[in-house]
Amino acid sequence: MTPLVVLLNLSLCFAGFGALALSLDRHHRDALGGRVPAGRIVPQRLGGWALILLSLAAAVALEGWNFGPVQWIGALTGAALLVVALLSYRPSWLRPAALAALPLGGLLAPVVWMS
Amino acid sequence: MRQGFRQSMAWLHAWSGLVVGWILFAVFVTGTASYYRAEISRWMRPELRTVQADPSQSAERAVAFLKARMPDAAGWYIEFPKPEKPVIGVHWWKSLAGPFHQALLDPETGAPTAARDTKGGDFLYRFHFELSMPPTLGRYLVGACALVLLVALVSGIVTHRRIFADFFTFRRHARSAQRGWLDAHNVAGVLALPFHLMITYTGLVTLAPLYMPWGVQTAYKGDEIRFFTEAGMMPEMPVPVGRPGSLAPIAPIVAAATARIGEAPEGMAIYSPGDARPTVVAIFEEPHGLAHLHPQIAFDGATGAIHGEAGTARAATVTSAVMVGIHEAHFAGPVLRALFFLCGVMGAATVATGLVLWTVARAPKGAQAAGVGLALVQVLNLGTIVGMPAAIAGYFLANRLLPIGLADRAAWEIGSFFGVWGLVAVLGALRPASRRWPEALRLAGALYLAVPVVSALTTGEHLLRDTRFLGFDLAMLALGAGLIVAAHKAGRRHASARDSRRSPGMTGEEALRA
Amino acid sequence: MDLRYRAAVLGRVLLAALGGYAVAALATGLLALVLPMPRSEAVATATLLSFAVMIAVVVGVFAVRSLGRAALLVGGLALPLGAGLWLVQTLAGTA
Repeated sequence: MTPLVVLLNLSLCFAGFGALALSLDRHHRDALGGRVPAGRIVPQRLGGWALILLSLAAAVALEGWNFGPVQWIGALTGAALLVVALLSYRPSWLRPAALAALPLGGLLAPVVWMS
Repeated sequence: MRQGFRQSMAWLHAWSGLVVGWILFAVFVTGTASYYRAEISRWMRPELRTVQADPSQSAERAVAFLKARMPDAAGWYIEFPKPEKPVIGVHWWKSLAGPFHQALLDPETGAPTAARDTKGGDFLYRFHFELSMPPTLGRYLVGACALVLLVALVSGIVTHRRIFADFFTFRRHARSAQRGWLDAHNVAGVLALPFHLMITYTGLVTLAPLYMPWGVQTAYKGDEIRFFTEAGMMPEMPVPVGRPGSLAPIAPIVAAATARIGEAPEGMAIYSPGDARPTVVAIFEEPHGLAHLHPQIAFDGATGAIHGEAGTARAATVTSAVMVGIHEAHFAGPVLRALFFLCGVMGAATVATGLVLWTVARAPKGAQAAGVGLALVQVLNLGTIVGMPAAIAGYFLANRLLPIGLADRAAWEIGSFFGVWGLVAVLGALRPASRRWPEALRLAGALYLAVPVVSALTTGEHLLRDTRFLGFDLAMLALGAGLIVAAHKAGRRHASARDSRRSPGMTGEEALRA
Repeated sequence: MDLRYRAAVLGRVLLAALGGYAVAALATGLLALVLPMPRSEAVATATLLSFAVMIAVVVGVFAVRSLGRAALLVGGLALPLGAGLWLVQTLAGTA
């Protein structure tokens, strides 16, 4: 079902962009206070990129090579916009929201796969 | 042009963006609205209700109407009723150079529909690439602007020093106005960058036969029809003989076409209907997929026999058709369409913030007076950025307020569109600089908020009684509310700028830092 | 903002718009004839690429150091393309 796939893409991209944003000092300061702990930058960036790529893989697996990438591009922009909006208006919500998006994605994946 | 690659690209970005910004903003806004063209058209013809119509019968009624209207036409086109447009659309023309006439027929009687006379969403759709100008001129102009936009996108990417580090950065409380506008421009531009690049390039490809005919010119000696046929986009067609004749009954042709493909066509084109050898082409909806390739079957219109089918398109043709398909996004379901709409809004926002940024960056410091050029850009900015959305609300309001029986009603609606646009632009130019943005935004917001109210009062339908237009009404309310919020913010920004300027003992530099 | 600067800007704008389009048009016309694929596919491919060619030329015209070099760039692309197109069409005409 396409709307569910878009939602799955959105949640994975949102979690990924959240991790990337929080690996930058400026946003970490706003959201959590202080600089990014030195050991976290690399894993967080790798994790963020991995989630974004995972969402592309999921889109292609579920919707094929024609619709998948198009939907993924739409979701990419929507998710990034959400991260920017949170950072601007409710920065402290970003981490909990990104962490919540992960299990949501995990929950959606089997549902989408079976339907 | 300054020294260094990045500097010259920054120069190119700022000036190329300014020159085409106003047109591009209008193109983005009307294009984004066109994602909901069918919904807009339906709202603008509230008299129409969904009907069950048989394509064969619709075709017969349309042909009867067209024979009476223009038996010796160069071509007719019949659009069958569909849920989002429950009427028979008929078009007829004497020559491919135009003029093109059209009418909407009631599927149950075959007579012109009683629905109000309006261009509906088609006006916004055509404005998107023709700007309400003579079609070819408008298309060339929009194409030139799209090319400059592509240049601005490329030079903008090169100019943007820290795409990743600033990816999420939008400083709401930036120390300087310029910083804040730059952040907004970057966020709107970068977050939707894949969309911006895609929509610009695919837009050019959509009208490539007009903009770049040189491949067809050299390889086909300019014979476009031959090219389309060989590429598999059109079927082979019978050649008219130049003697008068008569058209075979249309219903069996529709039935044969339906049997061949397994679904009813979406429309029928009839070329040289008065000739002894007319052509009837059944055109089907594009199959599920990205590509904008409509299956087509050509019939000999004198005998009703199948003459040929559009061939199978190969890789490059399919790529090209996919680009057109992605641009139009007919394939998109509601969620993806909403995301595309959001991306379109971000495109408009990128252009708008870029235009404002141009003036903010060149604003006179201290007591220095603004030059004529700057003042002109400021006035044009407001006239376009607020005037264009206000004009669309004015178009919707006119649809509900103009008397139903008014002669040339559709033209009056379009006149209202330009009237509101001009009014906002002129009022904006007359008001003092500190008040014009909040006032104009508030006016535009009020127009959008008025749309559902006026619609309920004039049609008796409202969102509590009939959910048919619930989505449209909610969209109008959301747009109106958004514009009012923007007005509020614009007012506050000016107030705080004034306060900091007045505070005694502070130099400009300190005021900026405060 | 002396006159010389303005003339140089005008020169580049004209060179980018007219030269860029000319190079793209010549490249499209030539590729449509010489690409090793069915005629309709060659035309479609050449047309798809044409806009990228034009953008590259425009960016190039504004990126190089002087107006003279920009003119050299456009001329250096347009002349061989035009000559190639002429050659291909002449050969096709005699063959």
